[in-house]
Amino acid sequence: MTLLFPLLVPLLGAAMMLVCRRPAAAVRVALAFGALEVLAIGNAVWRIRAAGVLPAGRYLRADGLTSFFLINTGLIFALVLVYSVGYLRHIAEGRFSSPRWFYGLMFLFLFTIMAVYLSSNLGLLWIFVEATTLASALLVGFYNTEGAVEAGWKYLIVCTVGIAFALFGTIVLYLAAVRGGVDPRSALDWAVLMSAAPNLRGAQDLLKLAFVFVAIGYGTKIGFVPMHSWLPDAHAEAPSPISAMLSAVLLNCALYALLRFDAITSRAIGSGFSHTLLLLFGGLSVVVAGFLMIVQRDLKRLLAYSSIEHMGIAALGIGLGGAFGLYGALLHAFNHSIAKSLLFFTAGHVRENFGTLRMERIRGMGRALPWSSGALVIGSLAIVGLPPFGLFVSEFLILTEAFSQARYAVAVLLLAALSLVFGALLYHFQRMLAGDPESAPAGPRLPAADFAVMGVCAACLFVLGLHIPGAFSSALRAAVAVLQ
Amino acid sequence: MHLVHFAAARALASSAVFLFITVLLMATAKRISTCIVLFSAQCAIITAEILAMAYVHKSPEAYAVAALVLIVKVLAIPYALFRIVKNLQAPGDITASTTAAQSVFIAAGLILLSFFAVEPYSETLRVDTDMLAAAIALVLSGAFLMVSRKKALAQVIGLLVLENGIFLAALTTTFGMPLVVEIGIFFDLLMGVFLMGLFVFRIRDTFEHLDVSKLRRLRG
Repeated sequence: MTLLFPLLVPLLGAAMMLVCRRPAAAVRVALAFGALEVLAIGNAVWRIRAAGVLPAGRYLRADGLTSFFLINTGLIFALVLVYSVGYLRHIAEGRFSSPRWFYGLMFLFLFTIMAVYLSSNLGLLWIFVEATTLASALLVGFYNTEGAVEAGWKYLIVCTVGIAFALFGTIVLYLAAVRGGVDPRSALDWAVLMSAAPNLRGAQDLLKLAFVFVAIGYGTKIGFVPMHSWLPDAHAEAPSPISAMLSAVLLNCALYALLRFDAITSRAIGSGFSHTLLLLFGGLSVVVAGFLMIVQRDLKRLLAYSSIEHMGIAALGIGLGGAFGLYGALLHAFNHSIAKSLLFFTAGHVRENFGTLRMERIRGMGRALPWSSGALVIGSLAIVGLPPFGLFVSEFLILTEAFSQARYAVAVLLLAALSLVFGALLYHFQRMLAGDPESAPAGPRLPAADFAVMGVCAACLFVLGLHIPGAFSSALRAAVAVLQ
Repeated sequence: MHLVHFAAARALASSAVFLFITVLLMATAKRISTCIVLFSAQCAIITAEILAMAYVHKSPEAYAVAALVLIVKVLAIPYALFRIVKNLQAPGDITASTTAAQSVFIAAGLILLSFFAVEPYSETLRVDTDMLAAAIALVLSGAFLMVSRKKALAQVIGLLVLENGIFLAALTTTFGMPLVVEIGIFFDLLMGVFLMGLFVFRIRDTFEHLDVSKLRRLRG
């Protein structure tokens, strides 16, 4: 039952949205169900912590890794929900752009993400990763402008094709498991595969083939270069709360799926093959995204490329492995989700007040929007990995691992890309912040709820930068232990 | 009974040829409705194949999967696509970026390529090489249809052909996945086609054309 609640609450919430005709009522019901969902997630995390592994029936299962990503999802979802209340007030009423549609689709989106985390079966995992695309495509196209429709179409097609490759990879893994003597009925069950992995050594070619397809498939969803083409469009054209959900929750969700496959492959045939592939994708993503960030003109596109870069860093951490690599990668995914949410929330304010996200048209933001500017400065200092913010710690851990393994090429590549990104963000943001506002309205005050949301993000980043709380650290270690 | 068994085994062996024919015809098709009919025919061949397999292996689950394929892919999806074509009231040509002759040559090349691709695996996997090659050929030609067709709906059909290929690969190598997973995949496919249909209408309403090669605003 514990694991069913986090799945049922968003489904019920989405169903309730069909009933709530008045926008104000829809917002209130959405907040109530959001609070209920956070409680359900908290309860699940608490139980998993006590029990270690929580199996529930044939198709649901939760362990330390699930629990870590549940904490991440619960936190970001709560922030996004509170932020979206203020954000939606400024959207013109349309046939498909009422709060009802927004929250209904968002709860469906949340349901599919929770289902990805809680399924024990790799086939079901694939089904729900595909379902995340379907649930969020309409949210990406929510504004119904030319750009939004194009981005939604591209997102739907590119991700569906990409994910189809992951299905092929899953089938090949299933084939390898069945040939290796696993009972066909449970040959997609992660725990069964994990314990049978050492016996699958004979099917080395098949396992490698499976991992390549899965890495391309789920890598499309994570946004690895060169399968990233959907990501900047979708992030830039979606409403800001959804951009935050995509970047902070969806990308981590796809990363989780890849981690599950990586664990099986590493245990069966050693980590050499899969980790080299991850280092390759990670390195490519970090470098290409870094260069593309210099030439961006749209604030949210810039943030989207930064997401590609950070997913690349996480992939480098996983690829390095070792004592700090995986730990650092998971911590980095968590830190990145908070920092990127803060930045997308700020971008929402910028758009609302300047009426544009084109960075060359935004001048004098420091004077016009002092609080949002503060958030932008904190978010950007955090995202480039400066102390005293969380991303510094996780990037430092990954670099430490690279140096201790004497992989100087990886370390130098990462350091070079980080300096490149630092320069790009500094260049873009100082031009936005400085100067006199030309067309900007007299900055309206930041609503109290938004102030609180951004404050929570900043505080989390600051705390994680100074010291990792004991309970959180043990959750992280439990997640790492599941994969080794 | 022996005769039926023999016929089932023959059907399995020869269906690959029929699949190749649908792929080649799709490459030449000029109208979207032709493509939909060919897709439906392709799925009917796969249904027949699953039935033959179900008979040979005596598996009740496989009969259920065959029924699902028949309902979802042979009937429901083509019906939905025809409805979309009718409601769009747009010209029904597919506007390929390659000529019909070029497309056939490329599709034939892809079929040859897939025979070469499965060659190294045929011994270790102990499966019917023709069927596996047909599966890979469907995946490749589906991808080819997606990149060479400009109309949104033609791309959707390319995607469906690609998905057919993956389904067929699962069928020939592992005799299908567990039933729950199969049902989930069909549900995703159905929802995906529904959503793509929705987006096709939105593209028409906001851009007043269906040529996705002209969607060029978002770049870099």
